[in-house]
Amino acid sequence: MHRRSLKLVLGMLVAATGLIIAGAAGGVSQKASAGSVVFGAEQEPPCLNGFLAGCNNTWTSWTAGTALASPYLVYPDFSLRPYMGSAKVLKKRPFTLRVTLNKGMKWSDGKAITAADVVFTWHEIMNPNYDLAGRAGWELIKSAKVNNARTVTFTFTKPYAPWKVMLNTSILPAHALAGENFNEVWNTNYKNKAGQEMSSGPFMLQSYTKGQSLTMVRNPRFWGHKPSLTKITFVFRTNTDTEIQAIRGGEVDAIYPQPQLQLAALRGQSGLRIQSNAGTTIEHLDLNTGAGNSNPLLGQRWFRQAIAYSLDRQAMVKQLFRTLNPNLPVLNNLTYTTNQRGLYKAHFQKYKRSVAKVAALFKAHNCTKGGDGIYSCGGTRASVRLGTTAGNKLRELAVEIMQAQAKSAGIEFRPDSQPSSLFFPRISDNKYDIALFAWVGTGDPAGQRDIYGCPVKNGQGDVIKGGSNWKSYCNAKVTRFLEASDSALIPRVRAADVNAADAIMATDVPSIPLYQKPTYFVFKTKLGGVKDNPTLQGPTWNTERWTTR
Amino acid sequence: MITFVIRRILYSIPVLFAASVLIFVSVTAIGDPLATLKVNPLLSKQTVKNIQARKHLNDSIPVQYGYWIKDAVTNKFGTPLLQPGNHIWDDLKRVIPHTLQLVLLAEILALLIGVGIGVYSAIRQYSVFDYSATTLSFLGFAMPVFWLALMLQVLFTNIFLKWHVRIFYTSGLSSENTGGGFHFVVDRLQHLAIPAMTLMVISIATYSRFMRASMLEVINSDYVRTARAKGLMERKVTLKHALRNALIPVVTVSALNFGALIGGAVITESIFQLDGMGNYFIQNLFSQDAYAVMAWLMVTATAVIIFNLIADIAYGYLDPRIRYD
Repeated sequence: MHRRSLKLVLGMLVAATGLIIAGAAGGVSQKASAGSVVFGAEQEPPCLNGFLAGCNNTWTSWTAGTALASPYLVYPDFSLRPYMGSAKVLKKRPFTLRVTLNKGMKWSDGKAITAADVVFTWHEIMNPNYDLAGRAGWELIKSAKVNNARTVTFTFTKPYAPWKVMLNTSILPAHALAGENFNEVWNTNYKNKAGQEMSSGPFMLQSYTKGQSLTMVRNPRFWGHKPSLTKITFVFRTNTDTEIQAIRGGEVDAIYPQPQLQLAALRGQSGLRIQSNAGTTIEHLDLNTGAGNSNPLLGQRWFRQAIAYSLDRQAMVKQLFRTLNPNLPVLNNLTYTTNQRGLYKAHFQKYKRSVAKVAALFKAHNCTKGGDGIYSCGGTRASVRLGTTAGNKLRELAVEIMQAQAKSAGIEFRPDSQPSSLFFPRISDNKYDIALFAWVGTGDPAGQRDIYGCPVKNGQGDVIKGGSNWKSYCNAKVTRFLEASDSALIPRVRAADVNAADAIMATDVPSIPLYQKPTYFVFKTKLGGVKDNPTLQGPTWNTERWTTR
Repeated sequence: MITFVIRRILYSIPVLFAASVLIFVSVTAIGDPLATLKVNPLLSKQTVKNIQARKHLNDSIPVQYGYWIKDAVTNKFGTPLLQPGNHIWDDLKRVIPHTLQLVLLAEILALLIGVGIGVYSAIRQYSVFDYSATTLSFLGFAMPVFWLALMLQVLFTNIFLKWHVRIFYTSGLSSENTGGGFHFVVDRLQHLAIPAMTLMVISIATYSRFMRASMLEVINSDYVRTARAKGLMERKVTLKHALRNALIPVVTVSALNFGALIGGAVITESIFQLDGMGNYFIQNLFSQDAYAVMAWLMVTATAVIIFNLIADIAYGYLDPRIRYD
């Protein structure tokens, strides 16, 4: 090689090495400083105002949303407990609720958090011009009376049993938001009219770089347990494989990914801890009993029971999650979760796989097995479509497992999966046979009437009740029990109503519960005070207790 | 030349219009963009009505297209489907520079390396170097981008775990608190290095093959033989006479490549979590946000048209035999 060329190449190599060394040295020194945590967020909040439908995403509430506290908090044991205040039922008829805030609470700008803020929150939620994600409970409030600076009494139009769930709503600062367009304000920050970031939580928003990261810093005016951490930075890592390398390589200190099979590789990694619990995402099969199905046998209870008996749900859950959460239980109730001791009753436990029971049911209805091993009933083959959201590896694997199980019992499942943008419109149009998807619950059975109760239409033909009952299931007793549960103020009575409905559904089999999708919290061992909360409250429910060693 | 440029720009307008109609119809025809939202049993029906009214979702597709044109021209492409407080153009202004940084880095390095390999392969035709370069080029063409991206992430993570030295970052655009100046530049380069390597592989393979073929054609031509006969040094013959003419097809290809990459390397940006055009496109396509996808299309199509034009002009400049009128 010519001497000049050689010098040029050597010079470039030296420059590149110098850059690498400078960067490497810089990279080492830019580790998270003591008292700060870098959290890999699996989704970026679409925007920060979690009240709006377009921003209503779990990661909105788990990141910036921690700046806005709520009167009640959902704890890891699924109980709803007072946090920012407490509430008491004063009267049952009319249903009257008194909400009292804790003493001495202040917003981050120094103004007191008052009952007026609670009333303001109610008004904002009820404003029909705002694209709110939900108004459940708040829409039943007829009037509000401010008793003193910390106390407000709400009178409802009818008893509302899940009032604690309603109070798991962030309180908004009236002085910062009055007169603002709630659809447009607080999309990228939580500033008041003076430009100061507002917070009633342990941390407040410091900066938000769209597409990259969101940084929360300690709120010096937080009314509760003083946070030990000074800063939490959420960096957006939406690809599971990228998250895995980021936590392995120390680029982040914690991740909370959706359970995917490749996460099992992290179990052997030193310096990491993993917590996994059954979450509130209820994976289940919906069986379409209505006219939109392709097989009229689905309208028969015995056939749906036969499907339930043909499946080995225990084996399926074991196969799906043995590397991620080997202790994940099968779900045997459509309304309560396995975490809710004292409430959960395993009504669906009777459906253990039994080829003999399947055969007996078909024989009792004069069905015969064809040469292909599939039953036929008066010319109608026991063949139905089973669909789920395409691209979801765990669900697709579940479909394959269930196909094999059902086939060996004499029932054919034909695959019918589509991307979610096509799948959900189809099932909400009643055009499916069996659909595998999930309801994301709060742990409270509020909303079950809409899913399992008989549809009711108004004069214009709009469905006003049972709007999510896409499977056309209608049992008057179930509907009555679920409606009663929404206004049963005594918890014991409410649980009895909900479980009575579930027991009937365990016989009717409009749906088959499968499992609660497990959470998967991976964090460095240097992090202390961290405890997974498998409810919608999420992993950041107690950031004021987090410490770094 | 000016007439040529003006004519090309005018021809592009109906092309852009046709592309916008095609994409708008395709995206809106996928289905109800609020379908996933409506699955939530607690969602307020009033909210659905508000969004449908604001975005004219109950109107026919031609009417919706008309509203989009109006917003594109008078309101900087309007607002996203579900976030009336944001503006699409602000998002695009944010993501375009990120993609430009990645693409510039990848393409400049790919050109330097690819041209070098191509030239040397041509000069040393049928040598061990030539055969090795050919084999590696085909390997580069065949390698799936997503696989290479993941393997590089694993490699550099394992290097960090073994020697506790971070050479490159495996995801993201920047570390927190890099400040400005030299530290910011180094940090940004550390974050873009692996994505750039991922993009470079196929570009190096392409440019090296093009360069080799073009160089072989040129070094055997009469004028190069004449230059050698005149007693010029081989280095001067190669670099001053042969290379310049051999570069013409490579320059053209790289201009077209650059224009296409402005649309964003979707897989690379998704895996490495780079807030660029590709990631922006895929996020909004999954959300069925027609407005955002259309805005992305307009920017990308304009970039492709401009770089096609640059390729043609560069071709005319490099080859004096080409004349435009």
